[in-house]
Formats: sequence, structure tokens, C-alpha cells
Amino acid sequence: MNRRFLIVLLLIWSLGPLFWQVYTSLCSDQALTQPFASIDHRWTLVHYRNVLTSNPPFWRYLVNSFIVGVSSTFFCLLLALPAAYALNRIPRKLSIISRLALVGAALFPYVLLFLGLLELARTFNLGNQLLALSLPYAALSQPLAILLLNSAFNDLPPELEDAAKLEGLSLFQRFRWILIPLISPATASTAILVFLFSWNEYPIALTWISDSNKLTLPVAMARIAGSSIYSVPYGAYAAATVLGSIPLVLLVLIFQKPIVSGLTSGAVKG
Amino acid sequence: MTLQIQNLGRRVGQQWIVRQLNLQVDDGECVALVGPSGCGKSSTLRLIAGLDAVSEGEIFFDQTKVTHAMAAQRAVGMVFQSYALLPHLSVTANLELGLRVRGVRPSDRQQRIQAMLDLVQLQDRADVLPAQLSGGQRQRVALARALLRDPEVYLLDEPMSNLDAQLREELRPELRRLVLNRQKPVIHVTHDQHEAMAIADRIAVLHSGRIQQVATPAELYHHPETLFIAKFIGRPQINCLRPSNGVVCAVRPESLTFASEGIPCKLISREWLGSSQLLYLDSPQGPLRLSCSTAVDIPETIHVSWKASDEHHFDAASGIRLP
Repeated sequence: MNRRFLIVLLLIWSLGPLFWQVYTSLCSDQALTQPFASIDHRWTLVHYRNVLTSNPPFWRYLVNSFIVGVSSTFFCLLLALPAAYALNRIPRKLSIISRLALVGAALFPYVLLFLGLLELARTFNLGNQLLALSLPYAALSQPLAILLLNSAFNDLPPELEDAAKLEGLSLFQRFRWILIPLISPATASTAILVFLFSWNEYPIALTWISDSNKLTLPVAMARIAGSSIYSVPYGAYAAATVLGSIPLVLLVLIFQKPIVSGLTSGAVKG
Repeated sequence: MTLQIQNLGRRVGQQWIVRQLNLQVDDGECVALVGPSGCGKSSTLRLIAGLDAVSEGEIFFDQTKVTHAMAAQRAVGMVFQSYALLPHLSVTANLELGLRVRGVRPSDRQQRIQAMLDLVQLQDRADVLPAQLSGGQRQRVALARALLRDPEVYLLDEPMSNLDAQLREELRPELRRLVLNRQKPVIHVTHDQHEAMAIADRIAVLHSGRIQQVATPAELYHHPETLFIAKFIGRPQINCLRPSNGVVCAVRPESLTFASEGIPCKLISREWLGSSQLLYLDSPQGPLRLSCSTAVDIPETIHVSWKASDEHHFDAASGIRLP
């Protein structure tokens, strides 16, 4: 009884704002400003229509963000997987020092790198290129990804790899047949975190991209909010937020199974 | 095939894990490595398998020096204590992986796996994940994988320590049938001396990284080279009398008999073990254990004695056997 109450409270706490956002996006402007007045046309999809038919249409930003997110995640894991594995194989002292350095890097406020990154973007002509944006994203997610994956590698019983060595599997074959499949739950949850970071990132995207066809979601949404100095388009903003969250919800729903099984399996040792 | 190990050593930092290890295992011979935990028996096995780097000494498979060869090139079949089966692959896939990377043709693979599953009697479990197998079945899959490698040397690292006592006893003949009959050198690491005596032709006792004695089980039992071995081999443990003049005298519990005169003892407790019984006695020479048939009646006042030929003498300081 008590526990059920706490769960309900927790759900209201975390889902409440989401529901409010959805509610707002479906209300007409009038209903938003006069919540208690009885209005005939209270519910409307006009905000969604406006957002989706603007120039460029809103789904373009979704696609942009999705492209950046997928490529950032791909680059990040491509480097982080071997790095995390190597961290277990190098001498102990070196491994501890590297791990401390990674924790330091993970805690570093990345906004401070911002001017340097901007300089890099200008030198190498990376501005207004979506795929280029995934370079800093993959790099910034690297420390966290390596640490998470490293602890997953750490949890694997070393005999599994020893047995495979005796069977004649090369390093690459061990990666392909043993290590990658066994840490896939950890890889999935790491991938989601990296994807989330890239989905939400604002300052770098704001400064690297100026072409309005190539904006990512957060920047585009900020533009909607600040499109007029006289009014705040709450409805449009809420509709954009709802549309922007749908891919994330889908992503988590798809990967929910491996994540949960990763948390509860422990069946590696058998 | 003869496995020969000369002066083998492995050092980690400043510490020697294994040192000056000499051993020869012939075709069809099974040598058990026994010793307390941390004595270097598993480390020795890993050195032979090529999983750890050798610091000094040499390893020969026949005339071929393999000291620094990669694990994959050594043709070693190893069974791990945890079996090391891949949890995400079925029994068949577990067995197939090694064959596939060694370039065996698919049709050949199927045939060999089928034959091997027949041999270890797991035909009906072919498509099951390791988690769905019992401990004994997993052990047989691990054995099957080692056998499929068709190795020159078999290394068994505590293959039965995760099984319960009854299953262990049932699997010993199985192990003999599957591995020991292959006419290849076998090294069997165990902390269970009963298992070692039951399976091995010779036993090597390791203590802090060094071999103390290599001998047949009977020789080890009747002529232990050191006090450590005398205490380590044989249950109930050997009786050590109080040292006098720097000499420790040790007597096996079953050598003790009741006598009309001898050392006077007081009965502390008695363990009834079916065919035999074990008496814990207190004597002026220290606590004693006496093992005898349950048919023997325990006298009111106990005096124990033994034949002089049953005594083992060791130097108290070094623990080395005295003539």
C-alpha cells in the first residue's frame, strides 16, 4: 500500500511534465491563455500542423538530429569498445591512471572547450556539415562510454577468452564471437546515453551550424521559442517538444529488453 | 607424445608464482598436481597452455620447444574449473566455434560434433544453452570441446570441483573412459587428494610454487619426502608427535593399535564412519588420531602403540625426511 503510493508519486513526478507538454500542444491558443473559460474550440492540432508545415518542415530537424545521433553513436562505440577492452589488458598501474584521467575528462565541463572547437571547425571547414558535428559529440561521449564498457568487460569471466584462445580464435574473432555478444546489454545502454547526449546538445550545434536546413532539434526548437519578441508560441513549442521526444521514447522501448536483461541476467558465469 | 618441463618459472613483479619446476609426462600417463590453494598449480597449467608468459625454463612437446609459442599453436585441450562455455551459444555452437576457426568444412563439422555428442551422451541436449544444463552435463560439454580439438596434451583444471561429491564419484570413470584412454599426456589439477589418488598414475605435490615430490600415490603415502606432504596426503591426517632432538616423528592414524602397554590416552571424541571409526585421543605426546575398524572394541583404559617400521621421521627445522 505504502509502496504503491510511492510509485504513484514517482510516476506523477516524472510523467507529469510530459503530460502537461502533450496537453499544452493540443490546446488552442485561446485555451492556453484562459484555462477556465469554456471555449468551443478547446482542442486543436493546429500547432502540429504549423510546426510540420513551416519552412523547412519540422521533420527535417528530426532527420538531422537522427543522422547526427546515429553517426555520433557509431563513431563513439567504434573507438570506445576496443579502448575499453585494452584498458583491461594494459599493466595495472597504467590502467588505473588511464581510468582516473577518463573520469577527469568525463567530469570536465565541455562548454569550456567550446572556443577551441569553434577554432577547429573554422580551420578544417567543418561548419554547416552534419556529419562533422558527430566528431565532437563522439569525442565528448568517449570517456563515459569507455568507463561503462570497461566495467562490462571487467565483469566477464576471463576463462571465456582463455578457452577461446586455446581454440585458436584470433583477437578479432574473440571480439566478434565472444566479447561483443556478451557485453551487448552494456553496449546498448551506452549507445542510448551517447545518442541522448547528441540529441540534446545545444551550444556546439548552435555555433557550428547556421544553415537553417541543417539545424539540429534543440537549436531549431530554441528558434521557435524565440521567433517573436512580442509573444511566446507556447503551443508550437510544446508540439515541437512532443515531436522531438517521440524518437527517444521509441528508442528506449526498442532497447528496453536488452537493457533490462543486462541488469538482471548475471548468467554469464552459469 | 611426451610433455617435458624443464626448470619452469614464472615471476609476477618480485614474486615467483612457479619456480624451478621439472616434470615429465609420458603418453597415456596422468599426473595430478595437488597442493593448497595458491601453491601455483593452476599457474603451472596456464604456463603449459600458453595463457601466461614463461619467465624462465623451457617446455617441450616431444622434441618441439613451445615455451614461447602462442596458445593457439600448442594443440592443448584444457577443461576449466568454470567450464568456460559461451553462455549465448547452444551446445552445438559452442563445440562448432573452434572447428570453424580452424577451417573444418561445415559437413565435416556436423559429423564430428554429432559423434562427439554421442560419445559424451548429450545427443538430446545439442540445441540447448549452457544455462539449461546441469553441472555434470556442462562438464561433459567442456570435455567434448577439449576432445574435439584433438590435442597433444590434456590439461584439466579442477574439472570436478564445482560438482557435488556423489556426481564427482560418478564422473571419475567417465573421465577415464574419455580422456585417460586417449594415450596422451594428461595433467590434472585438483585440491582433492582422493580424486588425485583415484585418477592419477603419479602425483606431484606443489608447495609455494615448487614441486616437493613426484611419485605414485602409494609411494607418496608410504614414503613422503617432507613433513608437508605427510600432512597433506592422507585423511585422517597423520599424527605428529612432539619434536625431540630436532626430529619430528609422524605415524598414520591406522598404524596406531590398542595395546596392553604403550602411551596412555584419554578418549576425547569418536567419529563413526560405517566401516571404520576415528578416535580423537589426548596423550602426553599431544593429541592423537586413531583409525580402526568398527569391529574393534574400545578398551576402558586406553594405551596405544605402533610398529617402529610405521614411523616417519622428519627434520623439525626443514621438514625433510630423515632416513
